[in-house]
Formats: sequence, structure tokens, C-alpha cells
Amino acid sequence: MIHSSRRMRQAAVVACFLAPSLLIFVVYRILPLAWNVVLSFEYWSPLRPATWAGWDNYSEMLHDDDVFWTALWNTLIFLGSQPIAIALALGVALLVNSDLKGAGVYRTIVFLSYPLMTVAVAIIWHLMYNEHGGLINYVLRQVGIIQQPIAFLDSFAWALPSTIVANTWQVLGFFMIVLLSGLQNIQPHLYEAARVDGAPAWARFFRITLPMLRPALFLCLVIGILNSFSAFDLIYVMTNGGPGHATELLITYIYKQAFGETRFDYAAALTVAQFAMLLLLTWIAHRAVGGNAGAIE
Amino acid sequence: MRWQRVLRSRFVVVPMVIAATVAAWNVYVTLHAHGLLQGRVVDAAGHPIGGATVILFTHDFVTQVEKARTRTDAAGDFRFDNNDSHLIQLQAEDGSERSPRITIRLWFRAQDRVLQQPLHLAPAA
Amino acid sequence: MTGRARRVLWLRHATLIAISVVMLAPFYWVAKASMTGENIYDYPPHLWPVRSNLFNFVDVWYLIPFPRYLLNSIIVSLIAVAGNLVLNAIAGYALTLPFMGRRSMIVLLLSCTLIPFQATIIPAYLITAHLGLLNSYLGLALPLLSTIVCIFIFKASFDAVPRSLIDAARIDGLGELRILLRVMLPLSTPAIATNVVLSFIWSWNNFLWPLIITRSQDMQTLPLGLARFLSYMEDTTAALYAFVVMVLAPGLLVFLMAQSAFMRGLTTGATKG
Repeated sequence: MIHSSRRMRQAAVVACFLAPSLLIFVVYRILPLAWNVVLSFEYWSPLRPATWAGWDNYSEMLHDDDVFWTALWNTLIFLGSQPIAIALALGVALLVNSDLKGAGVYRTIVFLSYPLMTVAVAIIWHLMYNEHGGLINYVLRQVGIIQQPIAFLDSFAWALPSTIVANTWQVLGFFMIVLLSGLQNIQPHLYEAARVDGAPAWARFFRITLPMLRPALFLCLVIGILNSFSAFDLIYVMTNGGPGHATELLITYIYKQAFGETRFDYAAALTVAQFAMLLLLTWIAHRAVGGNAGAIE
Repeated sequence: MRWQRVLRSRFVVVPMVIAATVAAWNVYVTLHAHGLLQGRVVDAAGHPIGGATVILFTHDFVTQVEKARTRTDAAGDFRFDNNDSHLIQLQAEDGSERSPRITIRLWFRAQDRVLQQPLHLAPAA
Repeated sequence: MTGRARRVLWLRHATLIAISVVMLAPFYWVAKASMTGENIYDYPPHLWPVRSNLFNFVDVWYLIPFPRYLLNSIIVSLIAVAGNLVLNAIAGYALTLPFMGRRSMIVLLLSCTLIPFQATIIPAYLITAHLGLLNSYLGLALPLLSTIVCIFIFKASFDAVPRSLIDAARIDGLGELRILLRVMLPLSTPAIATNVVLSFIWSWNNFLWPLIITRSQDMQTLPLGLARFLSYMEDTTAALYAFVVMVLAPGLLVFLMAQSAFMRGLTTGATKG
């Protein structure tokens, strides 16, 4: 008897304790996702009742909307730059990973850019790329690589890579710290055994380091994917999708459709498409890194 | 005692130092914000000019607008009492002679300022 | 140390110094732009500030309501951090207790982490409008009041508490809430620090949600104020960069004070719940 009343009390406590958080998640995650899915199949504007649209929104998105395909392509390019950033971060992590004097200082310097607000990062890099007062053009011209300044953020060819560089600068420190903690978890005796066996440095790297880093690499890859689907702040402040739609990402396009054109129904379809793609890419990353590295800490 | 260790931790010391600096600055500002501007007008040779007109321009979004005028006394000194801007310009004129418009940037609105350099009158070109 | 090892060491340091210069250059460039007396849009720009002065900061102070934005950001972050601590701790504790459907609840929560914030903005906006919370502090903080990643951080920390302590507390007749407060939390200070860091950073830097939710200028938070300033003044003035410096200063200060907690927190809480 005492046992079951304690159980009931415990169950009541559990329910009370879980309720507030669950409420937040239901209201701000699950419900919105379901709402978006339903909304994507309707015609709706805030002042009029909803009417069923079937696949119309999706067919408009896939067949009539060039900006969607541009945004998708840009997002994929952004995504493709993340492995490069991860590789760079791995290089930095390897350099810093030792009892090097001042390693802590180097770590802090590289990581310093990550906790900043992305809006500020966008403005900083906007200045760096400026044709007249920007450091990048100044250095390039002083060194002699170019004669005339390049308007990076206004050119169709250079705008997206420029934003990618800014994003890499910000995110490098984070990747470095994740990979560093992964490196420090590799047991030294594996290296000792390899060294005794006469394995050269590059073999030790590819045979021991990389495989042991799989969980950390997977984590970085997932973060990189999430990053390219959510780099709204950076693009909105740096270029606002311009010039034309050269730096338009899916997320900025969704924002513009929803809050600029007030086409909530169409934006919902875009959101669902983006979410599906996110799931697909995460699954691909999962398979690419070995299939059993789903250890999200 | 644990309290002493808590008090010495950087999470307490740094905010306290910031709060103390802010308080000290506010005290300084209150004591020195009467809107007082004092200066002197001299001619090209360096003699003080009495009876010259001095114009005060204050910052209004992106332009400077004329706010007040005063005349220098016999010793060539002038004074404004009600400046409430942080970005002002002063110009002196006396008949056909004009001084260049000098810009003065203050650290806070209505900061009291005594000009170090006098306004030099020169014949208008 | 052998000659070769010494050369490798110097090469390492040199590379790291080069990397540091590249990583710090943008900071320096913005700081220089905020303090220099020349026109920052002239070519060639000087590498050192020319006739350096701090009057841009005075201009910014009187041009935009910086204290108001700072206050808004602080209040929203305080609500978010406090809410996160309370809600995540009790939810994390509840997940350590045995109950029917615990496993499916955990799976449900884990799958919720797959839903990124961007997939929810439109309905979240509509819901918040229905609740009448547009343009309010609570509305700004509400989606951030609890994050799944932080719940699992607490859960992992609570799972590590030795059972004997919990059993002893139960035998003493302590209720669940007391157990949480007296036994679990004092042993979980890293988890608390991680929670504070993560919720602070996510609410402080949050831009998209305030952009959607705020309707009036005096409810804007710092990131929003910064972006609005950019569109308001275009980029024809160096005051913008003084504003950037002012906006970054509190965040950098907090980061430098709590570095290790930050690095640890941001890497364990890597996937934004």
C-alpha cells in the first residue's frame, strides 16, 4: 500500500516537473512544425480563412520559383564549405594540442570569435570587405595581387565566398575546441605502439587519429549542417541576400516570404522542404562518418 | 570565511569595479554639466577684441544650426550659459572680419568648457 | 632538446602566431575604425589610428538609446537563464526517476532536438501574437525558457550522483523537490555553470526571434539595435563601429571572466536544442 501511494506521488511529481518544459516544447517546437506542415497545404492569409491548396505551394516552389533553387544551391555551397572549415580547425587543433607554452592563450584567441553576436561579426566583416577602407582590399593591393579594389559584397561572384569566409572565421574556434577535446581523449599508448612498430607520422594520423576522432568529426559536421541552414543573422546583416539573390540562403528566403511578402502559406511550404532536407543531410552525414557515431554528448 | 572568498572572486570584483567607475563618472558629469562655454576673441595680431559677436551652433541630427549669439566684453571674453549639446561650433565676427568656424566635441552634453585657444579674426576674403 | 625538435617548435609557434594575427585582425580593424580621426572610407586606410579620439562613442551614446537596449538584453537574458535553470533542473531530475513511459519520453525529447528554430518561426510568431506577448519581455524569452540539450546535461549530471546518497535522503523522508535541492544540485555545479553559459549566450546573441517579435524601438535588444542602426544610418559613419565595440564589450567581458565554463559549455551543448 505504502509502495503504491509512493509510486503515485512520484508519478505526480514527475508529471509536475516535466510539465513546464514539455509545454514549452509542444508550444514552440512540435505544434509549430505540425502547423507548418498543415499550412503548407493551404492557401491562407491572416485575415481570410484557409482554403485547401493541395500540392500547389510545392509545385510553385519547385517549378515556378527560381529564387528557391538559387537559395537551395547557395545553401548547399555554404554547406560544402563546412568540411573545409573543419579541416582547418583540425589543423589548428593539432598545432595547439600539446603542452606547448601558451597553448591556452592561442586557444582563447582562436575561440574568441565564437561567442560574439553574429550581427556584430557581420558588421565587422562588412567593414573588412569594404572597397576603400577595408583591410582585405588594402592588403591585397599592397601585396600586389590586385590593382583595383574588388567590391566583394557587391559582386555576384565574390559575395557568397565572402560570407563563407566570415562564417568560417566565427565558427573555427568552436570546431577547434570540439576536435581538441576529441584529440585529448585518444589514448597515448596507441601512438606509442604505432611508433614502436615504425609507423611514420602521416600513417599514425590517418590510421589512429582520424578514426578515433569520428564522433567529434560527426558532431562538427552536424553543427556545420545546422549552421548553413540557420545562418540568417550573418546574411541578413551582411548582404541581405544580395546582390540579386547571390547570397540568398533558404532561411533568408523563408523570412522574406513570410514577413516581407506576408505569404505565410508559401513560406510554410519552404520551411517544410528545408526541414526535410536537413533531416536528409543529417542522415547522410551519419552514414558518411561510419554509421555509429551518433553520440551527441 | 567563505564570504571573503566569494567577495574576492572575479565575478564580484569586476562588476563592483564597473559599478564604482560608472558612479564616479556620473558624479563627475553632474558636477561639470552647467552648459558653460567661455573663450576669448582676438584679432590677427593677437589683441583681444571687445564687442565682437560670437555665434554658437549646435548639432541637430546631421547639420549644425545656430543656437545663440553673444557679444564679447571689453577684454575680449565671451561666455555662453545654456549649451546643452555635445557637438558645437563657434564662430566670431566683427564687422567685416570673421573667424573660422571651429568644432568642439564635448564628452557629454552641457559639459563646461573653457577654450584654450582664442578665436582668431581675419579679414573675410 | 635536439636542433630539429627546436626548429619544429619554432615553426609551430610561428604558424600559431600567424593564425592568431588572422583571427584578431578583424577585432583590431573595427577597434581602429571606431577610434581613428580620419575618414574610414578613404583609400588607403592607415594601419594605426590617426588622431585617435573617443568622440565616436559620445556620438553613439546620444544617437541611440544604448542603455535601454542593454537593459532589454539583460532582462531577457536574466529571464531566460533563470527559467532555464529551474525548468531544466526539474525536468532533468524527473527523467532520472522511474516512471511509465520514461523511455518514450526520452526518445520524444531527443527527436525534438532535430527541429531547428528556423522551422518554427512562422507559427511561433502566430502563437505568440495570439497569446498577446508580442513586443514583451516574456514573449522574447519564452521560446528560450527551456532547451532539451540542457535538460540532458542535467540528467547526465544527476545520474552520476551515487545512489546511496539518494536512498539515504529518501529514507530520511525527504520529498523529491528537497532531494533535488539538497542532494542533486550541490553536486552538479558544472552542469549548472554549463546551463547558465548556454542559456545566456543563446538569449544574448539571439537576433531572428527579437527581429520577428518586437514592434517598438524601446523593446529592442542589442543585436536588433545594432542591425537597425546599420540600416538607419547606412554605413556612412564611424559611429557604427563605436556601437559595435560597445555592443561587443559586455559579451567579451563575460566570456573572458568565465572562459573555461564557456568552452566546456558550448561544446557539450553543441547541438542547439
